[in-house]
Amino acid sequence: MNSYKPNDIAGKLAHGFLRNPLTVVLGIFLLSIGYLSLMIMPREENPQMVVSGSTVIVALPGASAAEIEKVIVKPLERKLKEVKGVEHISGMAMDNVGIVNAAFFIGEKKEDSNLKVYDKIMQNSGMFPKGAMNPIIKPLDIDVDIPVVSVAFYSKNEAMSKTELYDKVKDIQHKINGLPNVAVTEIKGGNRHQFNIEVDINKLSGYNISMGQIVQGVQSLSYSVPAVKNRTNENQIIMLGVKNAIESARDIGNIIIAQYMGSPIYLKQIAKVTDSYDIQNFKSAHISQRDESGNFTPLQEQVTLTISKLQGTNAVIIADAVKTELQTYKEALNKDSIGYTITRNDGQRANEAVNELVYHLVLSIVIIAILLILVLGWRESLIVTFTVPAILAITLFVAYLTDQTINRITLFAFLLSLGLLVDAAIIVIENIHRHLHSKDSADKTPDDIMIEATDEIGPPTNIATLAIIMTMVPMAFVGQMMGQFMKPIPANVPVALIASLFIAYIFTPYLAVRMLKKPDFKAKESH
Amino acid sequence: MFEKFQNAVLNGIQSPIQRNVILIGTLVTFMLSIAMIAPSKMVLAKMLPGKNNDTFTIYTTLVEGSSIQQTKKVTDCVVGLVQREKEVRDLEVFLGMGAPLDFAGLIKGSHLKNSENVAEIVLNLSKAHDRSEPSYFMVQRMRPTILKECGSIYKGTTISFVEPPAGPPVLAAIVAEIYGDDADGIRKLSNRVAGVLKSTEGLVDIEIMQDEIYDTFELHVNSTKVAKSGVNIKQLNDVLYLAFEGMQIAVKNSDIVSDQIPIYLSLSKESKKFSHKDIKAVKAKLSSLKLMNKMGMMIPITELVELTTKKSNPIIMSKNLHQMTNVMAETDMVSQVYPLMEARDVILSTFSDKYEIEEIGLFNLQLTDKQTSKIYKLIWDGEMEVTLDTFVELGAAFIAALVLIFLLMVIYYKSYTLSGIILLGSFLSIIGVIVGHWIMDIFTTDTFFLTATSLIGFIALIGISSRNSLLLIDFTKSLMNDKNMPKAEAIAYATATRAKPIFLTAAAIILASTLLAGDAVFGGLGVALIFGTVAAVVASLIIVPVLMYKADLEKHFSTD
Repeated sequence: MNSYKPNDIAGKLAHGFLRNPLTVVLGIFLLSIGYLSLMIMPREENPQMVVSGSTVIVALPGASAAEIEKVIVKPLERKLKEVKGVEHISGMAMDNVGIVNAAFFIGEKKEDSNLKVYDKIMQNSGMFPKGAMNPIIKPLDIDVDIPVVSVAFYSKNEAMSKTELYDKVKDIQHKINGLPNVAVTEIKGGNRHQFNIEVDINKLSGYNISMGQIVQGVQSLSYSVPAVKNRTNENQIIMLGVKNAIESARDIGNIIIAQYMGSPIYLKQIAKVTDSYDIQNFKSAHISQRDESGNFTPLQEQVTLTISKLQGTNAVIIADAVKTELQTYKEALNKDSIGYTITRNDGQRANEAVNELVYHLVLSIVIIAILLILVLGWRESLIVTFTVPAILAITLFVAYLTDQTINRITLFAFLLSLGLLVDAAIIVIENIHRHLHSKDSADKTPDDIMIEATDEIGPPTNIATLAIIMTMVPMAFVGQMMGQFMKPIPANVPVALIASLFIAYIFTPYLAVRMLKKPDFKAKESH
Repeated sequence: MFEKFQNAVLNGIQSPIQRNVILIGTLVTFMLSIAMIAPSKMVLAKMLPGKNNDTFTIYTTLVEGSSIQQTKKVTDCVVGLVQREKEVRDLEVFLGMGAPLDFAGLIKGSHLKNSENVAEIVLNLSKAHDRSEPSYFMVQRMRPTILKECGSIYKGTTISFVEPPAGPPVLAAIVAEIYGDDADGIRKLSNRVAGVLKSTEGLVDIEIMQDEIYDTFELHVNSTKVAKSGVNIKQLNDVLYLAFEGMQIAVKNSDIVSDQIPIYLSLSKESKKFSHKDIKAVKAKLSSLKLMNKMGMMIPITELVELTTKKSNPIIMSKNLHQMTNVMAETDMVSQVYPLMEARDVILSTFSDKYEIEEIGLFNLQLTDKQTSKIYKLIWDGEMEVTLDTFVELGAAFIAALVLIFLLMVIYYKSYTLSGIILLGSFLSIIGVIVGHWIMDIFTTDTFFLTATSLIGFIALIGISSRNSLLLIDFTKSLMNDKNMPKAEAIAYATATRAKPIFLTAAAIILASTLLAGDAVFGGLGVALIFGTVAAVVASLIIVPVLMYKADLEKHFSTD
């Protein structure tokens, strides 16, 4: 039935799919995997950057900054210099502590880098001076370190004790940590429960007591032991427990510290013992926000709970899960007169950014469709417009397979490629249009016209598309932060362009042969 | 319309005067547009422009050794001013620590903050859509007021405004790393560099990453006395620490509270306080503290030690095994490139009184102290370094793209001349890119920078405009070879026929890019695509035909 023999891949594709019943199945399949990818791909505002680095902290109590520099920082720096892939090493020597940070080249694998540093330190653990504490190695982890959601809890009841808020948030923290894909939850601000012994220095010298005696006195009573298990003659088990000697602040106050002139000196006589909060903690967090009338509430103490996500998981879903979880406690919190405000929601931010760009993408497609209607006619325009979602669907699916996320840069790559990827379809449809209206083709079957028209423009279109892909390839080799940040562009635009060729060669003739009519040359001639 | 254009092209390429006018005109336009960047600075370059954020953070840092109460006084002042802002929804103050970590904070070391002299204030603004004033304008407006009112409460306070970066985060816009061998020399030089940066227009939030040196007291232990008294130094240290810092000496397990309850011991607040900051007050306080020896005798601490004053030990910083100090500055709505060059010029001209200055590398300096002949180095880092690297690498990517396209065309046409024409035609779109940025700069209220994304747009343009020329040459070729048209007619006919699809694809690209142009980060890409495409269309419809006419087309086509 087809007399025209295609030479180029373009014509061959057109030929193969023109009368194939599977073409429509393929179309629906492509659209649905694209839609699925759009729905299940993790969304973020900014693309993920692989930044790895580790901080090594070594304490040597009593050493001055200059000493620390010589015995800790410098040897440590030299050792870390041996690690492959390290870009910068920065050291800080201060009194008592030395800190050395190794930053790896952007793009170095995180797990490998962490392991390398850990290895190096452990192999050389003998290099630290006597008296130095065990080194603390803290790897940098963007996903885990940077929270996606933060919630500020505050008390609406001024009489509430300082530690009650902290304890309540601590309960919520545990529950939220149990949500799927939540990595780290942390509490900032707030005060912990603590028994405070505040010694009056005048009484201390008056009774001639040293601080050491107080320590001994308290420590001797605060020891707790597990219950003792024993058996009776009838082999029944009897548990024997020692009750904690210290149950309340009063118990501590009643500890006898020393004897003075024959009479015991109780701790309460020389110190104020309270059951309150950690007074030595200088850190605190406060919040002020607009009330209903639009005025700012005065600054009040708050406790912030931060939540970070596991790598590669969807910030939007986690943020929503946290939000619903909090909603279930709202009643209970209200009863305790605790209010909360979500002070950071990266999930929402990512979702808004992504949705806005998707809207822009759709808008651009509509604008281009209108332009095509004006120039080419509505049938042709409809065909070209259909190819756009199909191309984007393939690109999205490939992006999903390569573990990318939907972020601002990926969507910008789509917007950038949008102007380019309708080209192939436009060129094919224009040539079909020209052939249909050409008198030479009056006797040819529509199928032949489609295949011939597609085949004809195959080579120049291929080479032109290849040229654009060529321009994108070197961009993939741009290093540094910027290269990482922009990676979605060279990763996705070429895919979109290649997809645009295939879609143009397969679907444009398929749709054209069903939608476009050959003009009636005979009718025209009779005029 | 079609015929008119065809005739115009036909006449144009055949008249030598018009040909020369077109070619020379193109050359002049090209030179002028390049001149817009380099000498005249009509178009300014920056890595990435500011982004309109819904949030930003204010870092306040008092001098080392300040108390949390002093820090709170400063943050209270800032909060008071911030509360007057209409667009602020809520604010959180974190005293003595960093706010919940964000991208900028990660690089700036916000998570390491743990001292009484630091605080961070997070401001959440109303949604960017509902707000007329972009966040970067707010920061620019608020900065002078806040600095004036709150920065002057305590001497040496720095207040900096940290916005989420549009792209990858950096330590600061400008970082001057001062390397050297002696701490005092580095300190002196970095203070002087900071002074220069402070007086440079467009630079704000200048900060030297070094501790202030302040007075401290030191206890010298008399070891003979300690040994004779039957106590040891550990005891002495413990008691001092217990008394003034306090320590958790025991814990109590509890089933009600989530953590173990520590039992904490220290002197009471009133007993702890020294009456003055002098050696006598410290001595008086210490005399009340006693140690008990093995025999149960009480020995006052003052018996065992001698008190002296000394200067504090500042932190010693190093990078890549060399001692150094960072001087950092942020830019106030301007690109960091130009203030940096200005500051560098000032350093070059004024520092020669004490230093011999040598230029090393592109911008870096080596300073040799004339008196001590010690060598210091000033290396620029921060956003400047990233910008430079990015532009250099993108430039390399651009050249690589040109070479790749050239090779592709050579393979396709088997002719260097034709490939050269295509390349030249695409390269001319740079005129449109630069002029487009200049036009946008005129119409926008803030500076419209030539950014890294503009460069990406330009690279993509090369491919797009080479397609135009390619279609043109291809069609001319088939007209000349298949229909035996003479050269001039073939070029004119091809240009006129191909004008429609060229316009159509250009219109598609321009329309798709208009929405890009509105974005803060990708505005440059959008503008580059829009104006570059216009230039590319002009180039392929006017300049490429002229170049084709000048080339020996018959020879090139027949080789195929």
